[in-house]
Amino acid sequence: MENIKQIIVDLLPEAVFEEKEKLTVIVEPTDLRRLIKLLYDNKDLPFDYLVYLIGMDWGEKLGVIYLLSSSTDTSKEIVIKTGTADRENPLLYTVTDFYETAHLNEREVYAMYGIRFINNPDMRRFLLNDDWVGFPMRKDYDGDPAINPVSVVSKDIIDKAPRIMETPEGLKEEIVNVFEPDDYLINIGPQHPSTHGVMHFRTALNGEVVKKIDIHSGYIHRGIEKLSESLMYPQILHFTDRLDYLSANINRHALCMCVEKAAGIEVPLRAQYIRTIMDELNRMSSHLLAWSAQTNDLGATTAFIYGMREREMILDIFDKTCGGRLIINQNVIGGVMFDIYADFQKDVKAFIPYMREKLKEYDRFFSHNVIALGRMVKIGILSRQDAISYGVTGPAGRASGWACDVRKYQPYALYDQVEFKEIIRNESDSYARYLNRLDEIEESLKIIEQLIDNIPEGEHLAKTKAIIRLPEGEYYQGVEAGKGLFGVYIESRGDKTPYRLKFRSPSLSLVSVMPLICKNEKISDFIGIGGSMDYVIPDIDR
Amino acid sequence: MEMKNISIKGIPNEEFNENEYLENYIEELKANGVNIVLSNLDDMINWGRSNSIWPLIFATSCCGIEFMSAAAAHHDIARFGMEVTRNSPRQADLMLVAGTIVHKMAPLLKRVYDQMAEPKYVLAMGGCAISGGPFVNSYHVVNGVDEIIPVDVYVPGCPPRPEALFYGLLQLQRKIKVEEFLKRPGKKKSKKSE
Amino acid sequence: MFLVVFLASILLVVAGLGMAILLSPKSFNPQKGEPYECGIPTHGTSWMQFKAGYYLYAILYLMFDVEAIFLFPWATIVRELGLPGLSSILFFLLILWLGLAYAWRKGVLVWK
Repeated sequence: MENIKQIIVDLLPEAVFEEKEKLTVIVEPTDLRRLIKLLYDNKDLPFDYLVYLIGMDWGEKLGVIYLLSSSTDTSKEIVIKTGTADRENPLLYTVTDFYETAHLNEREVYAMYGIRFINNPDMRRFLLNDDWVGFPMRKDYDGDPAINPVSVVSKDIIDKAPRIMETPEGLKEEIVNVFEPDDYLINIGPQHPSTHGVMHFRTALNGEVVKKIDIHSGYIHRGIEKLSESLMYPQILHFTDRLDYLSANINRHALCMCVEKAAGIEVPLRAQYIRTIMDELNRMSSHLLAWSAQTNDLGATTAFIYGMREREMILDIFDKTCGGRLIINQNVIGGVMFDIYADFQKDVKAFIPYMREKLKEYDRFFSHNVIALGRMVKIGILSRQDAISYGVTGPAGRASGWACDVRKYQPYALYDQVEFKEIIRNESDSYARYLNRLDEIEESLKIIEQLIDNIPEGEHLAKTKAIIRLPEGEYYQGVEAGKGLFGVYIESRGDKTPYRLKFRSPSLSLVSVMPLICKNEKISDFIGIGGSMDYVIPDIDR
Repeated sequence: MEMKNISIKGIPNEEFNENEYLENYIEELKANGVNIVLSNLDDMINWGRSNSIWPLIFATSCCGIEFMSAAAAHHDIARFGMEVTRNSPRQADLMLVAGTIVHKMAPLLKRVYDQMAEPKYVLAMGGCAISGGPFVNSYHVVNGVDEIIPVDVYVPGCPPRPEALFYGLLQLQRKIKVEEFLKRPGKKKSKKSE
Repeated sequence: MFLVVFLASILLVVAGLGMAILLSPKSFNPQKGEPYECGIPTHGTSWMQFKAGYYLYAILYLMFDVEAIFLFPWATIVRELGLPGLSSILFFLLILWLGLAYAWRKGVLVWK
């Protein structure tokens, strides 16, 4: 990374470097695009993967933090910060021509902070209604409920996108139509059984074939990031469970690790073992539900019942460990809240061969069915380059040939001490994503087998102070959740509450790629592709 | 009518905790002049209606997954007659609001509720639907679904276990059994002074 | 006999609809009249030109459904009719198979 630093200094002598654990550089808004282009076109280590894009309100400046990484080596990271002091009309330059994932992220920054991005082709607000007064994440936001009351009158949706383009004469503001005037629009709407939550796809159809999809989100936007700024760290833990609720334990693990890393708390080894085993059980229950939901979307309701039956066995284990089935309150800062119960190892060891037999049964009755093959093979092709540009990680990204498993390349907990394969397929269609999940269940079983008999004795919870204050600084931790890379970013100013907390959501990438891969597919295939991508909506809206 | 044994098959009247609520409900209806003499025909119709409720799942977040678990094979909802989950409000009786309702979703909730055909019921499942839940201080969350639509049964929990949901659904069945379905035309309601 | 069946069918329909009209609760609000589209108000009209593919799909289905209905009464008395019955039904089916082969050849069975 030293030569990267050297290259940056050569191009931009006035860039400011901060002393952090990751290479951090602060640039002016006008130099941002040159820096990004330099890093993107770098020969040995092209930085073509945008991990997160965080809007920030530093008090005197409003700005954005980017974390860039390389698709070939995800352990190399660089943080770029930029900001503008203008709070009335903040303008920054877009990076959407380098990273497609920036489209939705920049729209979200506009909704939350009011920063508009020049040359972004669609600058509508992402999670909030267009008539929302104020920018919620700013520090001077007035949260009076009388300003933004609850309205029960349905508003018509206007499909016009404002944008700011840079022309030789200067900045020009224009409004373009999202759809053609004679398009047939339907709403595959929020209240729908197959959208895995409340996702609104406004679809232009040409007969049965999808022409264009526009994503409207925010129907479950609960303002978790803003709420976290007024809560202490042990209180924020229960929000992570409610984001991607299928990988509740894994999300909580990320936040706990971030806080422990920052506060210097050492987690005992017994707790690491329990955390890893519960994580893998959680991953299996997430993939089983994803399988059930995908087959239910394709029409096979029996397969839904079968998958949920196996999932109930895992939920019974969770229930006996910590009392929760879906929302598992097991990971806390410093370890795990409850020690494992007496029969934990016996139950888990009885589950492993049962699950293996059931995987064979799923393979026998569904995976080679001619209807299933006809509806999944060569449908919803997502190329590797698109997967990287959109930031699609997890089983969907690995089905496009991109090796991006966080457990392998940036290992945490005990993943560097167990043997497991990273499942990569190159066909990039729905069938590859489907098979990836089933194979990952098998790999999780292998991981648990290696760990279940060796749980050491010891403490399950380290002693921590009642009020945890993190030292000043920025901390980031990413984990491999069931859907992909889930990251937690905390900026602390020494208080007991965070100054800024951001959750990097894997499902946002998964849903942002839907307009691309569903173009020219039939509408019934659109539902099948949505099932194969397996996004969870509260993760997107936070 | 005296509080006859409003029974659900298999669970005797004494095992429910909310019998007092039902008694008060009947008292209030009688005070407002509604005739609660349930004839046999009403009984039969109410039996039919309560044992085949078709839910409309309005699942927005985590409680929706617990509803799916309740509908799956382990905790079966089909034994109560509710496995037919209709996603169109025209064909549904009961709206199960499972999950947080936010400002952007509130107009849709009202619209879908309005599009349901009478007689319709609403069950608020989970802390978020009852009062905003863990997100009660948020700028974008509606503090409870009963700010927008009338709710019949509240099932607390975060998320409630399937067994808790079943208890709520059984309470709804008992509430339906008390209703007077065949209205006697020309009956005057004497309003008691509030 | 025919009269009994006729009267019974009319009675059944009238009784069913009549009970529903008499016993159901009456309530209307303007939202009930609007089409259901996942909670969002609809956009544009539905009076537009649809693809011809839908029509072909429906016509083909109708043809083969009617053919199936014709096969049912033949199936009940297949033993009595014997070989002459079989040959006449095969002739009927052959005409329909020719139509199917033509449609297949013309590529109607693949959605475009």
